[in-house]
Amino acid sequence: MNKLKIFDPAMCCSTGVCGPGVDPDLTRIASAVYSLEKRGVDVTRYNLANDPSEFIENEKVNHLLNEKGADVLPVTILNGEIVKESSYPSNEELSSWLQIDTSELKDKPQTRVEIDINL
Amino acid sequence: MYKTFKPKENVHTPFLFFTGKGGVGKTSTACATAVALADQGGKVLLVSTDPASNLQDVFNVELTSEPVEIPSVKNLFASNIDPEEAARVYREKTIDPYRNKLPDSVVNQMEEQLSGACTVEIAAFDEFSHLLADDNILNQYDHVLFDTAPTGHTLRLLSLPTAWTGFLDEGTHGASCLGPLSGLGDKRDMYRKAVQSLSDREKTTLMLIARPEESSLIEANRASQELRNIGVQNQMLVINGLLQSHMQDDKVSIAFYERQQYALNKLPEELKQLKTLSLPYVSYSLTGIDNLRKLVSNNPFVETKEVSNNTEPIQLSKLNDLVDDFTSRNTRVIFTMGKGGVGKTSIASAIAVGLTEKGQKVHLTTTDPAAHLDYIFKDNDKKENLTISSVNPEKEVEKYKQEVLEQAGKDQDEEGLAYLKEDLESPCTEEIAVFRAFAEVVEKSENEIVVIDTAPTGHTLLLLDSTEAYHKEMSRSTGDIPESVKKLLPRLRNPEETDVVIVTLAEATPVIEAARLQEDLKRAQIDPKWWVINQSLYGTDTKDPVLNGRAVAEKQWIKKVKEELSDRCALIPWMKEEKIGYHNLKEMINA
Repeated sequence: MNKLKIFDPAMCCSTGVCGPGVDPDLTRIASAVYSLEKRGVDVTRYNLANDPSEFIENEKVNHLLNEKGADVLPVTILNGEIVKESSYPSNEELSSWLQIDTSELKDKPQTRVEIDINL
Repeated sequence: MYKTFKPKENVHTPFLFFTGKGGVGKTSTACATAVALADQGGKVLLVSTDPASNLQDVFNVELTSEPVEIPSVKNLFASNIDPEEAARVYREKTIDPYRNKLPDSVVNQMEEQLSGACTVEIAAFDEFSHLLADDNILNQYDHVLFDTAPTGHTLRLLSLPTAWTGFLDEGTHGASCLGPLSGLGDKRDMYRKAVQSLSDREKTTLMLIARPEESSLIEANRASQELRNIGVQNQMLVINGLLQSHMQDDKVSIAFYERQQYALNKLPEELKQLKTLSLPYVSYSLTGIDNLRKLVSNNPFVETKEVSNNTEPIQLSKLNDLVDDFTSRNTRVIFTMGKGGVGKTSIASAIAVGLTEKGQKVHLTTTDPAAHLDYIFKDNDKKENLTISSVNPEKEVEKYKQEVLEQAGKDQDEEGLAYLKEDLESPCTEEIAVFRAFAEVVEKSENEIVVIDTAPTGHTLLLLDSTEAYHKEMSRSTGDIPESVKKLLPRLRNPEETDVVIVTLAEATPVIEAARLQEDLKRAQIDPKWWVINQSLYGTDTKDPVLNGRAVAEKQWIKKVKEELSDRCALIPWMKEEKIGYHNLKEMINA
């Protein structure tokens, strides 16, 4: 079973809409990750701002950070090996690593119906 | 006539929120109420949530987010929730454990991210709701008083509990703007309780403070309705600074009195439904505990000696000199800044009118959610060279959402758009949207002079601070940054392009706050050139004992501004009527 980990730089939200400008690459990777999860791939994202401990505990990432600094993020690890650094994997790369067709990487999460809280 | 507000008789709930347009005397009223309740034997906590708090000036005590006892008043405790400070504490707590374990560049990146508007807002809200939700607080104190920030900001602060409770419930994917406070979900109960306390009439009273002035009362009415809509039902109106009598043969005294009565006659219908009380106009300044006690005592007046106003008059510039100066230096961007309620909007409008009269092309705008440019220019005969806009947070959020959905959403299907929309619901979207609108309006200065009436002090600082934070973040974002945003900070720091006008009244608190603001601006490498002293009774010849008492008290503050604080200083005398409309504003320039 494949195991994919993505170590994000420190950021506010995973789609990047909170930044000074929207980064379309962040929206793409958010969708791709969601699609992978839906197809049962074990995939986890770690945001430096929320989960800094993961960036210490993972030796490979920690080593890379100490060697090259923060610019090395985002880092992608597939089954314990670093497969990509300094940018997010493309849909084609994800597709070939995980044997999933690129057309299947464009799912979007369902949003829930709004809940009205009565106080 | 309205009965006088007496804390002992009129306060019936443990929580009291003081709200109103900046400068109406929220802090003084809250402090006087707190002191009176404590004197009566109740244990009282007074909390300031204003980022530019001046509670410490009133009590002459250093305050922190932890309550400290006020030495001279038994039973009285005070604290100050400073959002910036709360965010700093949170940041330290989060980052410290990693300082020696991760390389500097990585720690720096975390620090930058946690300096954003999100973190500031979350940290402040967290401290605020803790007081409303913790049962222990009410075991410890008989009354908790909140001296809240000026209205626009207050409304956002107070509406947060509802907005955020909704936000927590609607979040469907883990990573979102709430990220900076991991485990926030655990606090859901606390936030829910905070909302309940706010809307419980047995627990919370909203004290609407207003001056007997038309715009102040309109603002109180707006706040009243807005807060009633988010569930705060128990409201009381206090008219602050009501002149009780007037001198028959003194023009200024008559005008002052009549202006107040005229405004009260036009009291909005909805406000008439509320319990309404008043506090008198007094000649002494409302700093120091003795004066606060006196204000709500049975005899709030002091004997005033006949003092002459005319000994060695202080020579000051007129607003016209300021307009001439900007014209000759070809200044492109002009800000008015200062404590809420000192008349920033009027001064900005008058400067815009003055520059238009010099034949310049001018754009006047406000970033203050509670400002009233429409009201000032309501009967304006259109001028070709003067355009007016306002940066309305709600509208800007909508505009920003649309823009993002068009840009980033163009390759997405229905569900993808829904996903993006969800992240756009986060509270910090507003900060970004307002910020971008701000940058856009400043960019207009390439083609015309831009006069910006800013939001009250604290909010302005947050805005300028985010300018800097974004400036840093831009260097590593791969996203599409508008040109206007990139150029913003360098432009604000260039004295050949930008000038800040500090507006104040000749009174202790506005001057002290303005001086503090000037220091902050200098740290951000922005150096204000002009100060304007507005609505000065010293500039009139009144003999009315109360008004003349005030005029004499103004003198020391005028001297301080002229001699210690400002490069150049203009004074505008107190005027008979509010300056509304283009032609009336023109009069203000030569007054």
